[in-house]
Amino acid sequence: MTQPIIQFDHISKIYGTGNTEVRALSDVSLTVQSGEYCAIMGPSGSGKSTAMNVIGCLDRPTAGRYCLDGVDVSLLDDRALAHIRNQKIGFVFQQFHLLPQLTALENVMLPMVYAGVPYPERHDRATAALTRVGLDNRLSNKPAQLSGGQQQRVAIARAIVNQPVLLLADEPTGALDSHTTQDVMAIFAELNASGITVVMVTHEAEVARLTRRVVWFRDGEVVHDHLAPEDIGQMAFTA
Amino acid sequence: MDLRESLGMAVKTLTANKLRSTLTMLGIIIGNASVIAMVGIGEGAQKFVSEEIEGLGPNVLFVVPGNQETQRATFNLPKTLVLSDAEAIAEQVPSVVGVAPEFNDSGPVVYRNRSTNSTIVGTTPGFPLVRNFTVGRGRFFTDLDMQRSTQVAVLGSELADRLFQGSEPVGQQIRVKNVSFQVIGVLDEKGSGLGGLNYDEAVLVPLLTLSRRLVGQTSPFGVELTYIVASVDRQDNMGAAEFQIANLLRLRHKITGADDFVVRSQKDLLEFTGTITGALTALLAAIAGISLLVGGIGIMNIMLVSVRERTQEIGLRKAIGASGNDILVQFMIEAVILSAAGGIIGTGIGVGGAALLGAVTPFQPGISVSAIVISVVVSGSIGLFFGVVPARQAAQLDPIVALRSA
Ligand SMILES: Nc1ncnc2c1ncn2[C@@H]1O[C@H](COP(=O)(O)OP(=O)(O)OP(=O)(O)O)[C@@H](O)[C@H]1O
Ligand SMILES: [Mg+2]
Repeated sequence: MTQPIIQFDHISKIYGTGNTEVRALSDVSLTVQSGEYCAIMGPSGSGKSTAMNVIGCLDRPTAGRYCLDGVDVSLLDDRALAHIRNQKIGFVFQQFHLLPQLTALENVMLPMVYAGVPYPERHDRATAALTRVGLDNRLSNKPAQLSGGQQQRVAIARAIVNQPVLLLADEPTGALDSHTTQDVMAIFAELNASGITVVMVTHEAEVARLTRRVVWFRDGEVVHDHLAPEDIGQMAFTA
Repeated sequence: MDLRESLGMAVKTLTANKLRSTLTMLGIIIGNASVIAMVGIGEGAQKFVSEEIEGLGPNVLFVVPGNQETQRATFNLPKTLVLSDAEAIAEQVPSVVGVAPEFNDSGPVVYRNRSTNSTIVGTTPGFPLVRNFTVGRGRFFTDLDMQRSTQVAVLGSELADRLFQGSEPVGQQIRVKNVSFQVIGVLDEKGSGLGGLNYDEAVLVPLLTLSRRLVGQTSPFGVELTYIVASVDRQDNMGAAEFQIANLLRLRHKITGADDFVVRSQKDLLEFTGTITGALTALLAAIAGISLLVGGIGIMNIMLVSVRERTQEIGLRKAIGASGNDILVQFMIEAVILSAAGGIIGTGIGVGGAALLGAVTPFQPGISVSAIVISVVVSGSIGLFFGVVPARQAAQLDPIVALRSA
């Protein structure tokens, strides 16, 4: 009884015009069902981040129809998109993007501030989210006082604190060593097991192998779409 | 996202960078401090002048030569008033109880080897009564002194101190414009007077002595006067006296067209100086207002830099659910907090500065509550106004571009 979370229907994204025109996404059709754990791979400049931005409602496609969790988002205004990003989507970035002047707890509370959650509940939920990623002993540390892996776990806690249906991660382990990569991937697996749909961009075959579906991009098109685990190293070679 | 959250967030951001926030506020602080101090000084000056005029007593009329036009055009007024005009006013206007005509000159006053330049006032025995002066030591000159043009002088208190430095002036000989005078009295101190004429620093001599022995007037019409001051018995009679004096002088001067004199009451003078000091206050406030404007531009400048610096923060906030409007409000609030806080601090400094000035100058600065309220509200609005451009820039930032700018 699956239900599509992401529905790309002939999506194109074109940057610039005339000579400088870049087809970052070229007529992409793609469906991700609720509860999937999906990796996006492909060479640099193939349109992975562009696809993630469109999925995350940070960017609008030039052409095509995009339905998120059954809602056609191409018709929504800035305010409604902000609300969707706040309620349905959690973002994790390669660069963590924590606010340096805020503590770990305050960083995690931030999405709830925009959601209008009152302080006591905000505090409790943020604490719970940080506990879930194993950082309940670092609540009042500023980002500068945390290791890279810890910072990324704070970012994950922030991404899940509003109980999104979809977790988007653009190269979440790109700035981490192999050991902390394992920790972070374990958290993603655990979140996916609890029902959150996870889509992540990665360049690392070992990371993609831990997901359950791999979508390959090349020159703005989906060139392979298959279930993991397979010999991803081999796929990278052929792609 | 409600306003209290936004306020708390803005305060957090601003206190995270205290030095920058303080420097940003500096323009507004200086602007406000100068507005408050300048307006305070202006109002103080206004009060000071008003009190001086009120000190003349409410029952005094000034008769000055020239008309409205010539008075505005030049300081060198035509001498259309003569001593006999003053005598006629005293005799023929029933409510006038005394007149003090004056002819003012200036020149060196010498006692032994000490010399100073001072105002030489030629007047009549009616002066102390009409102008509300008391003679501290010795006596004032009399009608007899007038008739005989005796060479006697009454000194202002400060002039006496400067020339005699503690020794007894009464009975001593001084030289005024190289003519020998005997000091017969010293006036009590009264403080600086109107129009720059400070009687404390003047030497007073009988009017006829001045015109005959010092000025050598040869006017065929009589003894020229700088102005006439007349005191009226009761406040109720001021209007009548003003009217009668004017008519009398028109008759005497055979005027058919425009008057060659103006009669002013204390009320007229208050209004006249009120417009001058009011304009002065407005000018000072305008100058100070410009610095407030500059402060506002400073805030805009720093906020623009801040938006550039915080593009990643803005992108992140948008990614986790802030709408463009939320970002707009956030930056607006930061600008308003900066300017309003600057306004409050500046006002405090301005009040302090004005009080300090009050301690070293003769007038008490007027600090009005309305000036303070207006100042804080205005600086808040300045933040609002100059915050719009940076805040809009922040709100319109593309989150993807913002997040990528690592
Ligand atoms: N704002 C933009 N303006 C113009 N071109 C852009 C813009 N953003 C992306 N592109 C172009 O679109 C194409 C796809 O970029 P995208 O960032 O999606 O690649 P990617 O697959 O994420 O690459 P990487 O693995 O290096 O992150 C690239 O050719 C890029 O230069
Ligand atoms: Mg990318």
